[in-house]
Amino acid sequence: MRISFAKLLLLIAFFIVILVEARTVFAFFGIDVSLIGIAVTGVLVISALVLWAIRPGNDEPTEP
Amino acid sequence: MTQLFVERFPDQARLVRLAFFNSFAAFGIGALFGLIQALHRTDVLRIVESPTYYTVLTAHGVFLVITFTIFFLVGLYQWAVTTSLERRPVDMRITKAWYWLMSIGTVIAGITILAGFLDDPPEVLGSQLSADVLFTFYAPLQGNPLFYVGLVLFVVGTWLAGVDWFRTWWAWKGDNPGARIPLPTFMVLTTMIMWYISSIGVAVAILAFILPWSLGLIDSLNPTLTRTLFWYFGHPVVYFWLLPAYLLWYIVLPKLSGGRLFSDPLARVVFILFILLSTPVGIHHQYLDPGIAEGFKYIVMTNTMFLLLPSLLTAFTVVASMEHGARQRGGEGYFGWLDALPWRNPAFTGMALAGLVFAFGGFTGIVNAGMNINYLVHNSAWVPGHIHTQVGTAVALTFMAGSYWLIPQLTGNRLVWRQAALVQVLLWFIGIVFMTNSMYRAGLVGVPRRTAEPQYAFEYDVGVGSMTELDFQLALGGFLLFISAMLFLAIIFMTWRNSESEPIVDGTIPPALSGPEDSPRVLDNLRLWIAIALVLVAIAYVIPLASIVTRGGLFGPDIGPFPVFTDPMILLEYGSKLIGMVVI
Amino acid sequence: MRIHVYERLWLVASMILIVAFIATVTYGTVGLGITMVDDREETLSPGDIDEDERFEDPRIEQVGENEFEAYVVAMTFLFQPDPIEVPANSEVTFYVTSRDVIHSFTVVGTNTNTMVIPGEVSVMTVEFDEPGEYGIICNEYCGVGHHDMEAELIVVEEDEFDLTELSVDAPDTVEPDAEIELTATVSNGLIDDLEATVTVEIGDETFQEDVTVGGDESEDVSITVDADDLGEGDHDWTVTVDDYEETGTVSVASDTDENDDGSENGEDTTDENDASSTVEDRLS
Repeated sequence: MRISFAKLLLLIAFFIVILVEARTVFAFFGIDVSLIGIAVTGVLVISALVLWAIRPGNDEPTEP
Repeated sequence: MTQLFVERFPDQARLVRLAFFNSFAAFGIGALFGLIQALHRTDVLRIVESPTYYTVLTAHGVFLVITFTIFFLVGLYQWAVTTSLERRPVDMRITKAWYWLMSIGTVIAGITILAGFLDDPPEVLGSQLSADVLFTFYAPLQGNPLFYVGLVLFVVGTWLAGVDWFRTWWAWKGDNPGARIPLPTFMVLTTMIMWYISSIGVAVAILAFILPWSLGLIDSLNPTLTRTLFWYFGHPVVYFWLLPAYLLWYIVLPKLSGGRLFSDPLARVVFILFILLSTPVGIHHQYLDPGIAEGFKYIVMTNTMFLLLPSLLTAFTVVASMEHGARQRGGEGYFGWLDALPWRNPAFTGMALAGLVFAFGGFTGIVNAGMNINYLVHNSAWVPGHIHTQVGTAVALTFMAGSYWLIPQLTGNRLVWRQAALVQVLLWFIGIVFMTNSMYRAGLVGVPRRTAEPQYAFEYDVGVGSMTELDFQLALGGFLLFISAMLFLAIIFMTWRNSESEPIVDGTIPPALSGPEDSPRVLDNLRLWIAIALVLVAIAYVIPLASIVTRGGLFGPDIGPFPVFTDPMILLEYGSKLIGMVVI
Repeated sequence: MRIHVYERLWLVASMILIVAFIATVTYGTVGLGITMVDDREETLSPGDIDEDERFEDPRIEQVGENEFEAYVVAMTFLFQPDPIEVPANSEVTFYVTSRDVIHSFTVVGTNTNTMVIPGEVSVMTVEFDEPGEYGIICNEYCGVGHHDMEAELIVVEEDEFDLTELSVDAPDTVEPDAEIELTATVSNGLIDDLEATVTVEIGDETFQEDVTVGGDESEDVSITVDADDLGEGDHDWTVTVDDYEETGTVSVASDTDENDDGSENGEDTTDENDASSTVEDRLS
């Protein structure tokens, strides 16, 4: 784990918050994003985040 | 590590547990009703008839903002007074009396509301046993008299609790002449002063007008007057919900962060500001009311804006205390210290997130307080959006997080499922973001609050996305909140029963960085602040109330009751009247 | 009292923020001359609504050039009148009162929003610039049918707006040797004159008459037809003025049947076909 489980959850939670209103913000700048587009992006980013978090870090020993 | 609260004051711990039990039971029922509403409003799933929705809504309101919050408050304050003064109540019989008065009041009001689910509620005291009048019970909507009786008993119970705490303090003062009031007790006493001043409004509204009127002793009342008296109480009551959360933020959160409270004097100033300013603002709920002059509304608007001050000061002190804690734990940099906070502690994370949501909700509150933009959002879904960020999260999530820290000290048991508890507070955070975001946005396009079916013949003009999407967000948010609530109850229940364990919790509260000795003694002169508060209340309310009574009379311009029944026959009657009107 | 320097700065910044909020709200209300809902109207008991000249007949009235007043009654669970029609480029002052409990009068998606409290009259003036359609709802819980309480607000093009009312007075039955006298009353609620053509069709005959109805006045147009010309039997008639239409049927029959014992006077009144058309019946 690069970050603790607690911090991973917290990051995901904050990311979801941004996701919820991302379309409205984009639309404000004239960029239309579809609902599915946002959902897919969300799933991808969260998966990436999880994958990054559970991989062992460079400077720490692999946990048993 | 000092002795646990339950070991030092076993009888007090038992009382606090009982109060928390009532609080959490109401929370469970209220949460279930909340889920039903979220699904019903959005037309995802309608398991009740739409008229019954209002029974659910009344129960949701009363159980959550009266029973859940205030029982938690009395439990927390009993703990705070006992532990900070290191002494038991002067007379435990009074303590038991207020607990039972409040419980009986809740049961009476609760039964009256829930009887609304019956197909044919029994006749009690001359009218049907039901009270689908929502938690604001605006006359001329009329509930069964027992509903009002229950509320009165409950409020009298809270008054008695205040007397109890004041007596403990007086006894302590006798033993400690010249000592500064310990901060937790100071917070309790100031909250109760605010509560005494403000709950007079609802007491007069019920005892002088609504209760005799519901019993048929008087024929008419003045709806503008009872409504104004309600809001005289109705705004300060939100601080009655909020101040226990403030107590936790000031007293417990800095400690959980690993540090100490930044400033004790400023905390005192904040609570005094609440005594002074929380009552003379109630008319800001009535910006759109006829019968109240614009000038009064303007005065109240300025008072309301100044109420931002204590909350902004709190934001500073709380964040500063957290930063101090983080730096004690080795945090560095402008923002890097955030990383050093104890995020794996559900009690900390819950309170920190609650504070964050509160800051956001505070700005939506400024929108409500702006008397011109209020026209756009008044009674729209925006308003429950605001309520759910403030009471539903800032307060409720803080209470839940605080429980994770307090319950082990009250039971002597170790908190179970710490990771699940962390998931629970995060789930609440995510749920509230989905739900309130949908409510805010729907409110801006005109979707009303307090309705079973906000679907009409016209289409809402949703700027981005669609109404379906907003509905889905609301339903999803409501669902997540329900799951989170159930998870919380399960964790608390299991902890309660986890008696074969030793808690790992340190109940000591470190002293503030800047202690009470840095503040003038006048802050502890409660009589002075009461006097100033009464003057401010008089300035804000005497003339408006006099004007309302002169205009419409004490008992109104002949306005009869309008009982709210879900009885089909009565519906039919109104229906035919309705059709008659259309034909004419 | 010792206050940390950062805390002091924060305190000052907070006060500036608060004063700024008050200033913007003050500008947005007083500065822009927006009048809030207030206590300018006398109280009105719900029992007196039917005797009150504003609310006995909920309606729209023209009170000046491009100025209108709307008298609206809210009750469980409807608004009167419904729909409410107003012209674009106008200033409409709404007077709203409640017959029973607390309601609201809310034009969805706009800031036209007021509580409606029994015993009180809410007043607000709204400018309508563009044509459009809006929903009016009650957004204060008012009882079991609260969610059904809605009405419609239609802002029509200025030149399409009228406050014309048409009512027709015609007999139901006439003797074959009598005359059918049909009177159409056209009333004009606007201040400007109404130029209109009254068209009456009865049987195969069509009559047309141009009328000029003065502001806030009404004109009668009468036509007379010999019943003989139509012959025995039922004859439909139609009166049209602009978009308004009234229809009815007149029977030409010898008075020999069961009506024999009916009193003449009684028939004169009871057989009168007294239709009246208001905005509600408008065709479009």
